[in-house]
Amino acid sequence: MKRYIAKLLFIAIVATLPVNAVRAQRPTAQETLIRNATVLTVTRGTLENTDVLLRNGKIAGVGKNLNASANARIIDGTGKFVMPGIIDCHSHSMLDAINEGTLAVTSMVRTEDALNPTDVDLYRELAGGVTTLNLLHGSANPIGGLNTVVKVKYGRPANEFLFPGAMPGIKFALGENVKRSSTPNQPGVTRRYPNTRMGVEEVIRDAFTRARDYKRTWDEYRAAVKNDKNVMPPRRDLQLEPLVEILEGKRYVHAHCYIASEILMLISLADEFGFKIKTFQHVLEGYKVAKEIAAHGAGASIFADSWAYKIEAYDAIPYNAAIMTRAGVVVSMNSDSDERARRLNIEAAKAMHWGDLTEEQALKLITLNPAIQLGIQERVGSIEVGKDADIAIWNGHPFSVYSRVDTTFIDGDVYFDRQQDLARRPELAKERTVLEQAEPNKPRPQGQSPQTPRRRPSSHEHDDLEIEKP
Amino acid sequence: MMGIWVLMPKIRSRLIVALTLLFLVSNVNAQRSAIDTYAITNARIVTVSGPVIERGTVVIRNGLIAAAGANVNAPPDARVIDGTGLTVYPGLIDSYTNLALPEASPSPSPGPGGGGAAFFALTSQRPAAGPNSTQPPGLQPEVRVEEVIRTGGSEIEASRNIGITTALTSPRSGIWMGQSALINLAGETPQQMIVRSPVAMHVSFTPLRGTYPGSVLGVFATLRQMMLDAQRYRDSLQIYERSPRGTRRPETDRSLEALVPVIDGRMPVVMQANNEREISRALDLAAEFKLRLIIAGGREADRLTDRLVKQNVPVLLSLNLPRRTTAAIPEADPEPLRVLRDRVEAQQTAGKLAKAGVRFAFQSGSLANISELMVNAGRVIENGLTVNDAVRAFTLSPAEILGVQNQLGSVEAGKIANLTVTRGALFDRNSRVAHVFIDGRPVDLRPAAGGGAARSSLSGTWSVNVNLGGQGERTITLNLQQEGDRLSGSISGSLGAGEISNASATSGEVRFTVALNVEGQTKEATFTGRLANNELRGNVAIVGSAPGTFTATRSGQPNQEN
Amino acid sequence: MRTLLALLLLASPVFAQQIGNPTAQQGVIPPRGTFAIRNARIVTVSGADIENGTVVIRDGKIEAVGANVNVPAGAQTIDGSGLSVYPGMIDAGTNMGLVEVPQGANGTVDTSEVGDLNPNAKAIVAVNPHSAHIAVTRVEGITNTLTAPTGGLISGQAALINLLGTAPKEMAVVPQLALVINYPRVAGGGGGGFGGFQQQQTNLSDTLAANERQLEQIRRMLRDAEAYGRAQDAYAKDRSLPRPDRNVVLEPLVPYVRGEQPVIFRADREAEIRGAIRFAEEMKLKPIILGGNDAWKVASLLKEKNVPVILTGVFSLPLREDDPYDALFENPAKLQAAGVRFCISTGDPGAEARNLAQYAGMAAAFGLSKADAVKAVTLYPAQIMNVADRLGSIETGKMANLVVTDGDLLEIRSRIKYLFIDGRPVVLTSRHTELNEAFKNRK
Repeated sequence: MKRYIAKLLFIAIVATLPVNAVRAQRPTAQETLIRNATVLTVTRGTLENTDVLLRNGKIAGVGKNLNASANARIIDGTGKFVMPGIIDCHSHSMLDAINEGTLAVTSMVRTEDALNPTDVDLYRELAGGVTTLNLLHGSANPIGGLNTVVKVKYGRPANEFLFPGAMPGIKFALGENVKRSSTPNQPGVTRRYPNTRMGVEEVIRDAFTRARDYKRTWDEYRAAVKNDKNVMPPRRDLQLEPLVEILEGKRYVHAHCYIASEILMLISLADEFGFKIKTFQHVLEGYKVAKEIAAHGAGASIFADSWAYKIEAYDAIPYNAAIMTRAGVVVSMNSDSDERARRLNIEAAKAMHWGDLTEEQALKLITLNPAIQLGIQERVGSIEVGKDADIAIWNGHPFSVYSRVDTTFIDGDVYFDRQQDLARRPELAKERTVLEQAEPNKPRPQGQSPQTPRRRPSSHEHDDLEIEKP
Repeated sequence: MMGIWVLMPKIRSRLIVALTLLFLVSNVNAQRSAIDTYAITNARIVTVSGPVIERGTVVIRNGLIAAAGANVNAPPDARVIDGTGLTVYPGLIDSYTNLALPEASPSPSPGPGGGGAAFFALTSQRPAAGPNSTQPPGLQPEVRVEEVIRTGGSEIEASRNIGITTALTSPRSGIWMGQSALINLAGETPQQMIVRSPVAMHVSFTPLRGTYPGSVLGVFATLRQMMLDAQRYRDSLQIYERSPRGTRRPETDRSLEALVPVIDGRMPVVMQANNEREISRALDLAAEFKLRLIIAGGREADRLTDRLVKQNVPVLLSLNLPRRTTAAIPEADPEPLRVLRDRVEAQQTAGKLAKAGVRFAFQSGSLANISELMVNAGRVIENGLTVNDAVRAFTLSPAEILGVQNQLGSVEAGKIANLTVTRGALFDRNSRVAHVFIDGRPVDLRPAAGGGAARSSLSGTWSVNVNLGGQGERTITLNLQQEGDRLSGSISGSLGAGEISNASATSGEVRFTVALNVEGQTKEATFTGRLANNELRGNVAIVGSAPGTFTATRSGQPNQEN
Repeated sequence: MRTLLALLLLASPVFAQQIGNPTAQQGVIPPRGTFAIRNARIVTVSGADIENGTVVIRDGKIEAVGANVNVPAGAQTIDGSGLSVYPGMIDAGTNMGLVEVPQGANGTVDTSEVGDLNPNAKAIVAVNPHSAHIAVTRVEGITNTLTAPTGGLISGQAALINLLGTAPKEMAVVPQLALVINYPRVAGGGGGGFGGFQQQQTNLSDTLAANERQLEQIRRMLRDAEAYGRAQDAYAKDRSLPRPDRNVVLEPLVPYVRGEQPVIFRADREAEIRGAIRFAEEMKLKPIILGGNDAWKVASLLKEKNVPVILTGVFSLPLREDDPYDALFENPAKLQAAGVRFCISTGDPGAEARNLAQYAGMAAAFGLSKADAVKAVTLYPAQIMNVADRLGSIETGKMANLVVTDGDLLEIRSRIKYLFIDGRPVVLTSRHTELNEAFKNRK
């Protein structure tokens, strides 16, 4: 009986904890007025001593002496900087699986099927002012899976993360990773084609040739079935359908690549089949073929200064952003790393250090330009009335190494707030103490040993090589 | 027989039930006599479908419940059981098990073209599923457990001992795992055990290894593609039937054929999903293809009650409640808060589902020790579920979810006489199961045989093929001595020589550590494997190297037990 | 004045059009001379900033520094108006020069020897003075790195080098500065890498038992070295004793087991750091922790035992799900507050050591003072490596490793205007500036 009472007591304690509150708490899109801040609008310059009004999830006003409703939250922005939420155009956060590496063409797989909204790295990215991610399939295959563009609504269910209206996309990959994938480390498994850049071209050519035929087959069927109900329908092929969408201009290609020759290869292949590459990803040698990239109309989404981690990265230079920008390429700076995503502000500033981009050009690398590359530039990427209230308040200029984020908003809701974070730490510690007393959580004296903790990849590891997130 | 199934897919399931019933009835008629009439008198009767009868009689005749009520008299030919102080419940149903199926063999290493480590004994021991399938193992929806069901065994006995009379038994592995059967846990032949088959199609989101689909991404793409292919298969057959002349004959495809009732919504699909995002993915897929979804596992189902209610999706909720299994070691990281919360909250899931109006039934969820089932049910009751709802989740709810509510799940005249009779209320800690009736016959209740299946000794000399990532195969010799759970021995051969340490052989799992010479360095290798068919198979984990696999066969002192 | 123009030309991008100019990167190193940087803000680090002062460099050394220093006759002068002079930055946790391309080009990797116990593997032997990483790093103001081998349990010996020179010997500041030991790791696995599977997680008590056996291997070798050292000494004093054979593996260990030179332990987790401290105490070693992600949890012990930490994880993700998001950003500030000696390193093999300033900057964004952040990449590493008499601050007599910037040393938007290493004016070109020049105007 005593035990039973203790248990009841425990339940009562647990029930009063903020656990569920924290998880279920739906941020209420409260009206917020940030007063007297420096506003980096991206499209309309830097505005000093300016107010920003967030209402109903949108930016409702940018200007001096704005008025807000009586119940609005007022934030004193004196000395603070407001910038648009950072958009990371190459991420693998919140993916339970990154690569379907068993086949050379996996356009039938969708990153949307593997979203993990509880990935704590999302929160850490919010703390770096990031609000939107382009979740890409890995680089195991010439044609990889479909992407998902999300807003980082950490704490909400996965379906609420989806960025409404973002252009559907797909991942391609050229070069070493694809080649390396043909040499699996499992004994007895047959090597996968391709193993050279020649083979990569051939695989993509073959896939688009099949896709073109597939479209014709369906067109013919649709015509024929009008007259004859007994025509056999062709097979619906989930691998080829996204490729047809690419040919029809309905799906963006995000192509992982490194060296100049493979970039030119894909441009000429795309030209031949009549489709566009929306972004070259990484594209470390983009600066060598900047005019060809610009002529094709492709964007580039790059690392600021990573180089020499493999042979195809040996000619990478940190002037890449500047050279391509000047050649007329829309350039963005991405992370491809849950770690690096937390400091994309500094990554963007590097384009001022190396290559003399202006502050506005550098800001665009992580805001408006990636928005353009994902087809969401009408919604996010700058601070303008009518755009989504996805912004971050910084305690200093975001291009200063000494600055950090105070608050991050998505659709007008607070998803990160440093003061709240600090205030919650003792509560979490208390919660842990209580939970550890709970029967299901008690260590078993005769139990097995716990597992060895997993090592996290260091900040020096690059590229989307993992199958799963460790 | 198979031919008939192939030709008449639509009437197939009904036919099976009919045949099965016919078979049962004829058997009963042949074997049973009036002495199979029983009456439990003066008992408290929890009918589940109606009010509790505080003092009444249940009459069992011809395998069925003949009558139940306060004013029912024991017939003169009945054997009378004085039920004073006893409570009669409908026989408990465990809504998700692998009972009566052959043991899973450990994962073999993937062979060329895939093979698939997720491929277990079920398929390999049942040629019917393999040869003419268009799909690799793991993607064969045509697999049916009914074809491999075996009678008897200690697991079935252990389940009966705690009052379980009926179980859904489902394939062990795969993505399209195959089709389940509902069985009574008694019977002289597999045919006698089957109540209904197939009951449902089963799906898990576990990737194959070394072959497509090798990730959860590919799993969903494959599920979709095969369902699309099944739609086309169905439509093509219809077109062909309408006008065979001048139309190219569609190839027969047993895998796609098995999916047709699924995509037509005639057969429910049970998807294994425990955490919120898995359940959410299952719900999305079901909505996309208009499937009759049932969630199995459902640990975090309480977080999606709105969607479960809206899509009318029931849950086979596992009572294998998560709990810490490890000891405390100072060097270990504290467990994540998320894990601590989830374990505590898992106990509340059932109560929350009940409050939200989500239909659910209990399942044992491969509890290592089935006798914990009732203890865990008690825990769930302490955490917000009413006793009535708990009883229902073991009886009428699973019967309804699995489509046998006219046969099972309540104490009503005309239903199958599966009854669980307890002294004390079902979930009371001090209650015990007094009688169990299955198909109208009392079942012998014995204390569970200790330790499950009889063990065979590992002592002897083994020839071990070790396959380390990328380094080809090496053969070493392993000498083992086993005394109870204790294991000792040594290795010798091209990977070095030395004593094994940390060795154990518990509940079928063999485990030991030994220093191996790998890549010019001496490294700790931990072997973990299982014994089956006189062969040890399993994995080798090496600190700082890629993992490998091993297979060991006896090379000396052949063991007589096998 | 006559040479000032030439110097400016060298340093300006205009002049850098000499693509592949061998003098820019390799071959002949620039000569020493007498230089004076005038009218500059001088951040001495060891003392107060001098708002408007002069630094005089002669024959590789800082000859004078102050507000009222006279420019010696014949000195080449640099007008430092609007500029700041800092000591060169030091990254104490790299493999600089030992690896060019880590992945897919094994031939360029010289970091990790076969076997577990390689005290005789000396980084200074294999440092490639012509590695592209060296110029790429120094043009960002990093003048020195500790270059360490990484393999096995006893990895070898690390070298402190100047990022300038045509031969390892010319680069060496301290050729054998520290012994490097990988303290057996508690955490395992990590990415299984692509096309493969996740490394199987092992059981912690097995890991700990295996670690204990590995530690015993190290212990045995260190004891052997201690005995070896005594035997050699005894023989030197008394030739009547049997002559002990020389042993190239044990010999280099002697100064380390005697506590004369520091032993660097790679250790990140709390259990590893505690283990390393315990082991060093047992073996009477002079420990330095390299890595130190959990150092904030062990701060009082580190303080008590006076064990310094080279922090390499400022930009790593927190080790555990529940660690605060800023746990590693704040690590330096917490150590500073606890009085633990520390410095900040990138921990990068080489290519991205150039980002050292941003690591320090991030620490300053999360609680470390800006002045301490600069110290964490200049004076503190010099002190930890026991070379503060030569490096780490702008003081008379120290080696003239200096950086002249147009702004705050740690700010990414600042530019390096002049660079001196070992008193030599270094041309600010690298493989990257050269490729930039080659392609930026491609039409």
